[in-house]
Amino acid sequence: MIEIEHLSKRYGSKLAVDDVSFVVRPGSVTGFLGPNGAGKSTTMRMIMGLDRPTSGRATVNGQPYTSFRDPLRQVGALLEAKAVHSGRSAYNHLLGLAATHGIPKARVHEVIELTGLESVAKKRVGGFSLGMGQRLGIAAALIGDPKTLILDEPVNGLDPDGVVWVRQLARRLAADGRTVFLSSHLMSEMAQTADRVVVLGRGRVLADAPIDEFVSGGSGGGGKRTLVRTPHPDQLFTALGSAASSITPREDGAFEVVGPDAQQIGTLAAQTGAVLHELTPMGASLEEAYMALTKDDVEYRAEATR
Amino acid sequence: MTATALDSRARIGLGFPRLVRSEWIKFRSVRSTLWCFAILVVLTVGMAALLGALVDPEPGKVLQDAANRQVVNIATLSVGFTVLVVAVLGVLIITGEYTTGQIRSTFTADPGRLGALGAKAVVLAVATFLVSAVSTWIGVAIAVPLQAAKGVEADLADPSVFLPILGASVDVTMIALLAFAVGLLVRSSAGGIAITLGLLLVVPIILQLMGNLLGAQWLLDTAAFLPDAAGMRLYTYSVPQVDDASGTIVLSGWAAFGVLAAWVAAVAAFAVTAAKTRDV
Repeated sequence: MIEIEHLSKRYGSKLAVDDVSFVVRPGSVTGFLGPNGAGKSTTMRMIMGLDRPTSGRATVNGQPYTSFRDPLRQVGALLEAKAVHSGRSAYNHLLGLAATHGIPKARVHEVIELTGLESVAKKRVGGFSLGMGQRLGIAAALIGDPKTLILDEPVNGLDPDGVVWVRQLARRLAADGRTVFLSSHLMSEMAQTADRVVVLGRGRVLADAPIDEFVSGGSGGGGKRTLVRTPHPDQLFTALGSAASSITPREDGAFEVVGPDAQQIGTLAAQTGAVLHELTPMGASLEEAYMALTKDDVEYRAEATR
Repeated sequence: MTATALDSRARIGLGFPRLVRSEWIKFRSVRSTLWCFAILVVLTVGMAALLGALVDPEPGKVLQDAANRQVVNIATLSVGFTVLVVAVLGVLIITGEYTTGQIRSTFTADPGRLGALGAKAVVLAVATFLVSAVSTWIGVAIAVPLQAAKGVEADLADPSVFLPILGASVDVTMIALLAFAVGLLVRSSAGGIAITLGLLLVVPIILQLMGNLLGAQWLLDTAAFLPDAAGMRLYTYSVPQVDDASGTIVLSGWAAFGVLAAWVAAVAAFAVTAAKTRDV
């Protein structure tokens, strides 16, 4: 459980995080979305006690992170780029971390195996690829078998296998009853991994909702979207009339219809004698919902700076 | 997720001895540490051996006092160079964490920060002292028979001989800690090394020049309280309260240690206060 209450962070004149409040619950994966510079990493660093909030507070499992006597047991974090001395081997880095909490050496071997680092564990981290660095960061986050995981862009630099692996790991950790909080700029990744999303823009919370609700709420126009391919568009769309809130032709000759569902369109087509070559219900995507939300944010920003 | 390795252990959590153990693992697993110590050992043993073989006594009978002085000088002449090596080591040991991002891992494991910093200082001090002391005494073991063959028979059991030889390692250790505190304060390798070496090498010369040029005795007296001058008193044979007729202040061994300790404490106080509250 992560609780953020009225958290703000000011760097000079820039308010990087602006009165942010939300809760990340155990047993599910919560995605943290937002454009670059939205304040995601800063928020995560404040949770971990690395940055001091200008005001407000962040607690993990009911306490500030800095107050724990066994912090690595409470929270495991992967924060942005490599947080490892480049001259040290992955094994020694993990061994050093484990030693701070009296975590046995066997656990170091466990996380190395779990993250697939066996072949490079004795090599110096300076020569690691971005993907290997991410795996090491995840290994470090898991070392204390923590109740809460905070992962900043965990799939960044990973190959497709690695992406699937992180997704499954996040789901499995959440299924264990742990709190999993991860940021990503890959919407498709988030759609497949997260149960809930918190969207940040310009340091403020733009949305905090279950992912289904967020996607349907952000689809715009409030209706179903359907892909229609027909040689008789005039005939069909005249019949649809005001039932459709928008009809958008695509480059490939098909049309995106917002409003009536596939069943209604099919029925109308039969009544008017219009031939249908394709009739496909389209789910609104997380990406579209996200773009719609942050687009408003961009417009607001443009007006505000005028 | 299975966590069998963790279930077996009773208490998982922070503790100062554990932080020291962690810092020791980190200390010995980077090359810069090993290189600095290798140079330290070669300089210390090599110079003692070389000087032991090359330095001849004054013609005539060698007095006990002269023999003692000569052997102490031979054993400790390398300190002028080794302090520079440990100054670099002391800075790098902490700035290396800031420049690589390792510090975020360190402070995530110990969010209180002071324990990890204290453990790092303990590891640096103990390791530096042991390496310096062992190599210094190896140098003594090589130089003493070489000098004895020339009729220079120092009395190693005399405190005025073994205390300065031990004091050399104390000085090297204190300078390493001072450099560590400077590094923690400035967080940049280049900046930390420049400031520490400047304090050890440049500031004394400037005070000396200014003092002589302006005829300002207080500037020359101030120089006695700089880390390098104070440190030198720790390994100087036979310490008089006042060295010569000019009346320039010369610190006694214990006073010099106090001055050096005050330098370390003062810089460390600033550095730790800053490190405790700064964003990383």
